[in-house]
Amino acid sequence: MSQLLPYLGVASLLLVVAALWARQIFLTRKTRIEVIVPREHQAAGGSTASHGDFGERIFGLEDWHFVSRSMSSEIQEMFLRERAILAISWLRRTRRGASLVMRAHVAAAQQIEDLQLASELKLALSYFLFLILSDVLIGWIWLRGPVRTRKMVSRTLRTVAWLQGAFEQLMARIDPATCKTLRTNLDHRAVRG
Amino acid sequence: MSLEAKHVEIEPALRDLRNRTLKRLPGDFSRLVYLASSRDLSSGHYSHDGLAFHFGENVASKAMAACHAEIFHRLVYCSLEELIEELRNYISSTSVRQKDFLQSWTHLGSYRVTIPSDCDETAAEIFLSNVKIALAILQTREESALQDERSA
Repeated sequence: MSQLLPYLGVASLLLVVAALWARQIFLTRKTRIEVIVPREHQAAGGSTASHGDFGERIFGLEDWHFVSRSMSSEIQEMFLRERAILAISWLRRTRRGASLVMRAHVAAAQQIEDLQLASELKLALSYFLFLILSDVLIGWIWLRGPVRTRKMVSRTLRTVAWLQGAFEQLMARIDPATCKTLRTNLDHRAVRG
Repeated sequence: MSLEAKHVEIEPALRDLRNRTLKRLPGDFSRLVYLASSRDLSSGHYSHDGLAFHFGENVASKAMAACHAEIFHRLVYCSLEELIEELRNYISSTSVRQKDFLQSWTHLGSYRVTIPSDCDETAAEIFLSNVKIALAILQTREESALQDERSA
């Protein structure tokens, strides 16, 4: 048991650091969110959403209202199944995009001599939080479907988008070249709760 | 060449294509199918004799690709209800019976070839999923109409 103590100590320390960093993120997120994730939207007219608003297209309620109002239970089930597949696929793609950028950054960071440890730690933490939240979201959608979890999805997506923003900002500071490739298409404002 | 310069280069061809050819087709789904069928699946190049005669083959192909992408995006972001209407319009513009059309499209997945070459993966998935649901809805309507006919 005593042999495990140093490991437990290190793990606890890491948890405390992660918790403090997460707390800082959540406390400041409201004031910084507009600056960090500004998105350009192109109006498409009519009842259509703007291009790139995949979240709104996938989680939007308009289609569900139409299907639930006038279609048989078979069609409703089909619709929910299709939307869940779409949502999970979209989230996985976003997650994969972030992972690719992080891998590119790790490769680039190995060449840098004066690494800023604090920034690197912040970047790693926001990246891992982003991954965890994406997985939680995928799990929710898989278990309960995209319509029933819509509010929770909306809230989590906002947090995920903020983390993505923080991640992008840190990347821009630490590794501008790799940051240019960070285009993961996740827009927190695309899903209105 | 910048995107803007590219757009200026194909703008007259785009206008011509929209006003002469595409305007005559009944709805965006018909336009999408028309543009997709004008594309060579091996090379990805579009062909339009009239457009190529006036603007050159390269510009004509680029203009058609741009229109294809534009119409596809409109259909990706239109509501399911609108998509069903678009699809219904397209079916009635063909000489095929709705029942046969729906069966063929559902089984063969013919709508997959209507996707533009350089479109976003998520957009393509949304489109395919929505068309699949729209076809199922139209098929259900067709079946219940047939049942009503029989019982009358």
